[in-house]
Amino acid sequence: MRVRSLARDGVLTAVALTIFIVELQIPEIVPVPGVKLGLANIVTVVTMFTLGPGDALAVLLARILLGGLIAGSPAAMIYSLSGGLTAYLVLLLTRKIMTEKQIWVSSVFAALGHNLGQIGAAIAVTGTPSLIYYLPVLAVSGIIAGAFTGLAGQLAVKRLGKALRR
Amino acid sequence: MAKTGTWVIVILVILALSVAASVYLYVPRSAGGRVAKIYVDGELVRSIDLSAVTESERFTVEAGGGVNVILVEPGRIRVESADCPDLVCVRRGWLSDSPAPIVCLPHSLVIELDPGGGIDAEVG
Repeated sequence: MRVRSLARDGVLTAVALTIFIVELQIPEIVPVPGVKLGLANIVTVVTMFTLGPGDALAVLLARILLGGLIAGSPAAMIYSLSGGLTAYLVLLLTRKIMTEKQIWVSSVFAALGHNLGQIGAAIAVTGTPSLIYYLPVLAVSGIIAGAFTGLAGQLAVKRLGKALRR
Repeated sequence: MAKTGTWVIVILVILALSVAASVYLYVPRSAGGRVAKIYVDGELVRSIDLSAVTESERFTVEAGGGVNVILVEPGRIRVESADCPDLVCVRRGWLSDSPAPIVCLPHSLVIELDPGGGIDAEVG
């Protein structure tokens, strides 16, 4: 049983990392730090809503650490960690009050949490409170990106949910 | 379980507020009279009164193990080039009246505008 879930989380992490690296090739549209699709979060959403918080946390942390080693700087990892963990908390808190057809709503709130966590970290690291002015722009992009990744995750839960939970 | 329609309304309200706030933050306030402050790791390294600038100046700031080349012109400032991985600071372009600062997160460098001449500069 343990080997099974280890293998399953490994596969999910590999999927998340692949998506993460593919997304790195997409040029950024808006020159605002933190604006991106965050497609790898589809995997976090799917894992949370099929396997639960434990597996979701494991897959999320493995993806952030490995992704940071492959692609980013230590600085970038602080921001993905702070954003990723806040988003994770929001998913955790909202997952029980959403139906299978409202997974995307959870994802939208998680994306907003991601933005808040990242801005918070950036304010702490740079000591610049005025970075909060980026929040509205990030919220707009977060809602769009969160709805998109959430819908994709919701479809994946519908199609793959049974196979993953087995 | 709330209905999906309720959630859609909640999200649309947040979206509308965010769009309004974004537009408001990017609308120019006062022309000139602003002081650009350059911070590295939260410490002020240089302060430039943009309204007092008469000819363009280019200088380098060392930050976070890299460099940012900063260009100053009368009334405006930008990061011209940098060796950070994402170049968000460069593509942000000119900063002349927006309250949202230029940031280079990899280098922990921030350029923000302080209203020059106290509270009056905020008016009009």
